[in-house]
Amino acid sequence: MSIRSQLLKGILDGCVLAVIEKEPVYGYELSRKLQDIGLADVSEGTIYPVLLRLQKNRLIIGEMMPSESGPNRKYYSLTPAGKEALIVISEEWNQLSLPINALLSKGVDSNESK
Amino acid sequence: MKASELIAQNNQKRDLLTEENEKYYSNLLLYIRTKLSLSEQQSEEVLMEMLDHLLEGQKDGKTARDIFGDDPKSYADEIISHLPEEEKKNSLKFVSQVAVNLLGWFLVIRSIALLVIGQMQEVDSRVFIIPSFIILVLIALMVSAGVKVIFSLIHQSLFNEKSSDKKLMVKAGLFGAGGFLIIMAASYFMKDFGPSFEFPWIASLGVGAVLVLISWIMKGRKK
Repeated sequence: MSIRSQLLKGILDGCVLAVIEKEPVYGYELSRKLQDIGLADVSEGTIYPVLLRLQKNRLIIGEMMPSESGPNRKYYSLTPAGKEALIVISEEWNQLSLPINALLSKGVDSNESK
Repeated sequence: MKASELIAQNNQKRDLLTEENEKYYSNLLLYIRTKLSLSEQQSEEVLMEMLDHLLEGQKDGKTARDIFGDDPKSYADEIISHLPEEEKKNSLKFVSQVAVNLLGWFLVIRSIALLVIGQMQEVDSRVFIIPSFIILVLIALMVSAGVKVIFSLIHQSLFNEKSSDKKLMVKAGLFGAGGFLIIMAASYFMKDFGPSFEFPWIASLGVGAVLVLISWIMKGRKK
């Protein structure tokens, strides 16, 4: 497993919750959106175990509904507990990312304007 | 959507897969379906999502290997570890439906046997309650053990390169033959004893047919 996918593993639940919060999505759509955001390292299949785990923990709920293109798809949306979990994950991430950025991103500073 | 509808739809959609993708996906599917303790509804839902995903990916020239990874067994194990267990209520419904069905067919076959043998010789159409009950319980145990053993044999062999279909068939066949032998031996050696009642072929046929019908209705109503 590459370092990047190891790092991603811990925060993937949060990313999935954040995408679902914007609007209900089905599996394939979710993987496209994650890739569009720039998380190309998430191999597409990995979202299904994540979705199952989030459903089991009642953070999201999946419902079969007809899609725009016709066939039934399982659309996921956040439950109230999921919304809370997303807030907690976002806060935790912010608390972690600041010091870690300060510590680790020195090498990048010289290359990037920000 | 009910699990049975998802299964029917899955069968149709699988035809759209390329040969390579179909093989990869079907192994995943069998591996997950032969894990009997899982919620059927949830399993079929995630299997349908994966199939839809694969079909969309296929349009973009992706293979199942690209999407689900090079190690289908650990992928499937991960899926299984997150799937909820089947609810006790649903398992009980299923088991009782199968039991009613088996008992129904047992009585139908008994009535035919009584009728055919009755043409040639005098038959004893009495039923001895205790021995019959023991035999029926034995059959039920054998059938449920048989289903479990065969499903777990398939489950274990799926991603195991060393195991061959031939070996699997021999194992399953041996189990079936062994179970059959035990039931035959039990019914041969068990003496008729205890209370009994007259149960002629026509009554046996009637009750059997009704039970089979009931089991079909139970199956239709499942979930």
